[in-house]
Amino acid sequence: MRRTRLRWLAIALACAAQAGACARGSSEPSLRPVSVPDLSAIEPSVRDQFHARHSALVAQIARRGAPAADLGTAYGELGKLLMAASYFDPAEAAYLNAQALAPADARWPYYLGHLYKAKGALEKSAASFDRALQLRPDDAATLIWLGEAYLAQGRPDAARPLFGRAVALEPRSAAAHFGAGRVSLANGEHADAVTHLETALALDPRATSTHYQLGMAYRGRGDLANAEAQLAQKGNIEPRPDDPLMRALDELLESAEAYNVRGGRELEARNWPAAAEDFRKGLALRPSDPSLRHRLGTALYESGDAAGAVEQFREIIRTSPDFARAHFSLGVVMEAGGRHQEAIESFSNAVARDPGYLQARLQLARVLARNGAAEKGLAEYRQVLERDPAMKEAAFGYAMTLVRLRRYRDARDSLVSAINTYPGDPRFSYALARVLAAAPDAAVRDGARAKALADRLLTTEHSIDVGATAAMALAELGDYLQAAAVQRDVIAVAERGGLHDVVQHLIVNLNLYERRQPCRTPFTDEELP
Amino acid sequence: MALLIAGVLSACRADPPPHSSAAAAGAAAGESESAAAWFVDRAQESGLTFTYFNGMSGDFLFPEMLPGGVALLDYDNDGDLDVFFVQGRMLDAAKSPADATIAPAPQPLMARLFRNDLVVNADGSRTPHFVDVTQQSGIDARGYGMGVAAGDFNNDGCIDLYVTNFGRNQLFRNNCDGSFTDVSKASGTDISGWSVSAAFVDYDRDGWLDLYVGNYVVWDIQSDQKCTGLTGKRDYCTPAVYRPQRDRLFHNNRDGTFTDVTARALPGGPNGPALGVTTADFDNDGWIDIYVANDGRDNVLWLNQRNGTFKNVGLLAGVAVGANGRPNGSMGVDAGDFDNDGNEDLFTVQLPSEGARLYHNRGAALFDDVSAASGLGPMSLGYTGFGTAWFDFDNDGWLDLLVANGAIEAIKERGAQLFPYGERKLLFRNLGNGRFANVTPQAGAAFRQFEVSRGAAFGDIDNDGDIDVVISNIHAPARLLVNTVGNRRHWIGLRLLGRPAAARRSPDSSAPAGWRDMLGARVEVIRSNAPTLWRRVRSDGSYASANDPRVLVGLGDTSDPPTVRAHWPDGRVEEWRAVAVDTWTTLRQGEGVAR
Repeated sequence: MRRTRLRWLAIALACAAQAGACARGSSEPSLRPVSVPDLSAIEPSVRDQFHARHSALVAQIARRGAPAADLGTAYGELGKLLMAASYFDPAEAAYLNAQALAPADARWPYYLGHLYKAKGALEKSAASFDRALQLRPDDAATLIWLGEAYLAQGRPDAARPLFGRAVALEPRSAAAHFGAGRVSLANGEHADAVTHLETALALDPRATSTHYQLGMAYRGRGDLANAEAQLAQKGNIEPRPDDPLMRALDELLESAEAYNVRGGRELEARNWPAAAEDFRKGLALRPSDPSLRHRLGTALYESGDAAGAVEQFREIIRTSPDFARAHFSLGVVMEAGGRHQEAIESFSNAVARDPGYLQARLQLARVLARNGAAEKGLAEYRQVLERDPAMKEAAFGYAMTLVRLRRYRDARDSLVSAINTYPGDPRFSYALARVLAAAPDAAVRDGARAKALADRLLTTEHSIDVGATAAMALAELGDYLQAAAVQRDVIAVAERGGLHDVVQHLIVNLNLYERRQPCRTPFTDEELP
Repeated sequence: MALLIAGVLSACRADPPPHSSAAAAGAAAGESESAAAWFVDRAQESGLTFTYFNGMSGDFLFPEMLPGGVALLDYDNDGDLDVFFVQGRMLDAAKSPADATIAPAPQPLMARLFRNDLVVNADGSRTPHFVDVTQQSGIDARGYGMGVAAGDFNNDGCIDLYVTNFGRNQLFRNNCDGSFTDVSKASGTDISGWSVSAAFVDYDRDGWLDLYVGNYVVWDIQSDQKCTGLTGKRDYCTPAVYRPQRDRLFHNNRDGTFTDVTARALPGGPNGPALGVTTADFDNDGWIDIYVANDGRDNVLWLNQRNGTFKNVGLLAGVAVGANGRPNGSMGVDAGDFDNDGNEDLFTVQLPSEGARLYHNRGAALFDDVSAASGLGPMSLGYTGFGTAWFDFDNDGWLDLLVANGAIEAIKERGAQLFPYGERKLLFRNLGNGRFANVTPQAGAAFRQFEVSRGAAFGDIDNDGDIDVVISNIHAPARLLVNTVGNRRHWIGLRLLGRPAAARRSPDSSAPAGWRDMLGARVEVIRSNAPTLWRRVRSDGSYASANDPRVLVGLGDTSDPPTVRAHWPDGRVEEWRAVAVDTWTTLRQGEGVAR
């Protein structure tokens, strides 16, 4: 150990003293000192990784007569670890040494390109990618990243031939088409941009950020409808080239947070098993991290393993009982499994731990209202609205719970107020139309207003619910013939859609209308949220 | 072995250790500023002594990284700008300042108001001189201060202050006698949570300033998460760990109170976490819109629907995300017409890996991301931007930019420092051709200091015809960057005042309406042999701060008195011909020639 240290120290100090003129011999290139910040506060697993790479480097340095390329690889491998851990300055020095010692190895300028990109040094990044490209002219990933560097510098014309070559080399590369599309977009060539970006999206539909570029391209063509349709689908996943070198770097660091980040990426990409695997590895390193375990539970649940998810959420509650999100998630799983009382308990625990956790309180209100505790549900909805009057789900739940309680007058008033507060949300008009058409309380009913509301809704939405509401309003106005006709149309639509339960319910009202009777049930219990 | 590697490797450090804040401050005090420096820090000598204390004590409590703002306002109507800083404290009630990693400066931990007693020297030059008047002002703001907005909400001619906090926000009504009254509760604006930037804006054109409050995330000390960097070292969390908190819009009831109209006016959401807010008429329809810079989520452009509601058109407008389609960690923001085409463009600053974003408005609120083409994106990579604004520092007629930076993740190469988050400030000069140059090296010594800068407020503090800047730093002295070069070129200074109406049913109702700064008014400066310039009256923008509401327009080398057309917030337009050059002029609504 002591010997190793002395050798390393000698090299390091020599490097420092000669200000970058460190060399193994007179014929070898100048090497730079590689400094690493204090590693004492980092995770042991990462420290072990540094130890191993450092030892490998020291061993190479000690090997008299060893090829320079081997020492270059040792420097480069240390550089990769430094870069993965975001120690960019020493990583740069290590890569530069690797590049100097192994000038024919494309990996080191390639990684340098990425390193400089991460540091924001775009010109250096482009120069390094260019150097890597000279060593591997047909590497599509290098072409794409160099193109990206030029795009980031505002040089789309320099980027264009690179993406063009990448597309020619790998016509099924979404990243190549994505880059080509962005070049077209930057140059105002919107038709070309649409073509490339549509291709990119077809090749990699999971790369949801492409929708944004495509939306901008449609906007540029003046096609705002298509633009908005694309933008509505926008996500945050970019198409990436097939890039084994960067994948290796991404997977290098063995820390809980690194696994957390990787798992998060998989979650975003909806790769649930891969996400779960990353979170498990992270937990192996930091088993007491409730956030990491919660994400594992989420990944398991999304992959269909509800029991596994429950196990994780319960473990968090056991070890970190104040972690409100675990209570909430457990409540969601319980509710989905029909275990309503346990769901109520879990949501209650969540809001007890975090009174401002409005999503949990909203769920609690819903479950209470649905399960024989409507008054309590109402109180919870009220609390949500007191804290955030803009939470319209709570306003809707509140009004519908009033309906559930047969407090039609209050429900009507609440819905009228909500229509004014949330003018863009048709749910409130729809619910109000039903209450006005079919409330048992004659003082609440207003058939004409109900019909007006339904008619307005029908101008934008031809749904079964709205159609049935229109029929209710017609019946309330005494136009049973028309009500029955509308109801039959609605039933036909439901039948075509295979909605057998809905059809049964609609037939009940049809029978009423055919008997020239109005509906007096605005919502069945099953229809209430 | 780990220590061995650490010790040995760190002995091989190639670069000298970066400046610490303390070292930088010392250097600044001791160094004589080069005569060629464009900005000179005069904070200490002018009496503007303030250091933001964030109360950090090793627990990495999330709010510690984001304060605090600063306001420039003429609270005493004596014609020069005064300065207001928000202040922090210990977040953990169980701890005292003695527990803090870095001790607070020897001042009471509360927001401070400094009155500017501007000295006019024998040679006509002016020297700012600040006096701490916090005590006599009656402003008692001891919350965990985040930001500040300034505007005359009750139309009495005296500017009021809204202080955003982690905790309950405060509204201070200016009594027009040098003192303020805390009307937070009575006004209905004392929401609790975590607010950062706020803006006074007359969104319904009724002549009364309403209030937009940008909120961050739901956090309290009980729900604090322990976050680490990739290597497992403790650091501050990202906002993704917490739930965003909904922004609020308060409608001015004209009687000293406000109504929360968020639910009706701002559909959907919550859209946060919000950090920066700027208001301007982005679609040129005469109604003020609101742009919100969010941290890690899509930014929002609230387009005024002229009926008391807004619609978020950020995505279609092209200002919600970066060119790669991903949301940025946006912090500071400002709107301004950088290319003098009459449309309000947008500039946002964000994380080091993202670079700043410049969105060019093609009119009708459709923007193109020109960050790369302008050079601003690449030049700001590696910096964590907070306070920023469009301002023509050299009065050449083109809006330039200053960015006050400071990291939010520990800078690894400065691991030994107590607060390793310092970054340098940036100054970008508008080249007038769609591109910008990084002119930071010429800007002065203050730009070479590594500081954790947050709020920045812009205005002509010495009334000498160029824009100066006050910057609030965490655990480092605030800076007063006095502009030494702007007034070498010609300029016009405008104060646009209006007298919309007096309060209806408040104790002020018997008082006559005062002339107040008409936030949102636009000025069209028509020059004989040069392009027309568009500027606007605003105090919002930047980060958690309030700017000089006056408009200073650089004219370059021409001294021809221009025609100025004022587009008032109520839609009326008036014109003044041959406005005097190289001096400040007050334009009162109703006194110009109607157009």
